[in-house]
Amino acid sequence: MQKSWAYLVAGSVALLSVIAFGAGSVSSATPAPDPTYVKECSACHIAYPAQYLPKRSWERILGTLDKHFGENATLSPKAVGPIKAYLDAHAADSVVGNPRTLRDVPASATPIRITEMPFWTRAHAKLIARKAFDVPKVKSGANCIACHRGAANGRFEDDD
Amino acid sequence: MKIRFVAGLALAALVPVLAYAAAAQKPVLDAYAVAAKAENTGFSGFSAERGKVFFLAKHDAASETPSCTTCHTADPTKSGQTRAGKDIAPMAVSKTPDRYTDAEKVEKWFTRNCQSVLGRACTAQEKGDFITFMASL
Repeated sequence: MQKSWAYLVAGSVALLSVIAFGAGSVSSATPAPDPTYVKECSACHIAYPAQYLPKRSWERILGTLDKHFGENATLSPKAVGPIKAYLDAHAADSVVGNPRTLRDVPASATPIRITEMPFWTRAHAKLIARKAFDVPKVKSGANCIACHRGAANGRFEDDD
Repeated sequence: MKIRFVAGLALAALVPVLAYAAAAQKPVLDAYAVAAKAENTGFSGFSAERGKVFFLAKHDAASETPSCTTCHTADPTKSGQTRAGKDIAPMAVSKTPDRYTDAEKVEKWFTRNCQSVLGRACTAQEKGDFITFMASL
């Protein structure tokens, strides 16, 4: 009797591990690999995935770092080059095919907040309605990692 | 005779090494002292007390970041938090010993944060006072 319990527990643990591992390996966004981008752009917030904004948006952000959402975030000239190259190469409109992150973004618009992108507001509609981003622990939609524990590594699953 | 001389030399060389090990922030502070003298011939050293007043003051240049304490909290031995919700390691040297040891990093953050909080560059006097305060905690 005791032995069958042990089997059951061992089996459940194995099954849960498989589920957990499976969930962890599903990637909706690739990690940010450029070391300069990660070093310079993840001190105050996570290194946001490049494919969450189009090239023109990243260019505007890089061009206005002295007024970066209310703070001065200027970069040394030597850091700008690799960061711009990385963002250009991996921006939403550099992704092959028809990336879902660009859906419903007019060509005339240059959004600078990921939280204004239609893919983002759609995915978070229920939470926005519940004012879930206003609680002190979250602070704002910019704080991905408050809910998506794997966000710094490019993982944004629903169940994180 | 020769041995004694060599031993003496080795000891003399060791003294400044030990002093630097005790104050890893000294090179950065020394550089700010040189700059402060260049800014003001009446420069008479840095003050932890002035650094404390500066750190706690409400500068009000920007509504998002009116003070250093907006993100760093009023207790530099505690962790702070960025506006986007990321933790900031304590500013006090006793809690984060490698603070103010990398001159390039120190300048980067003074450049950014002085503009954000004061709406201008900080003087070398202010930077040195700030670090002296953080090293005194």
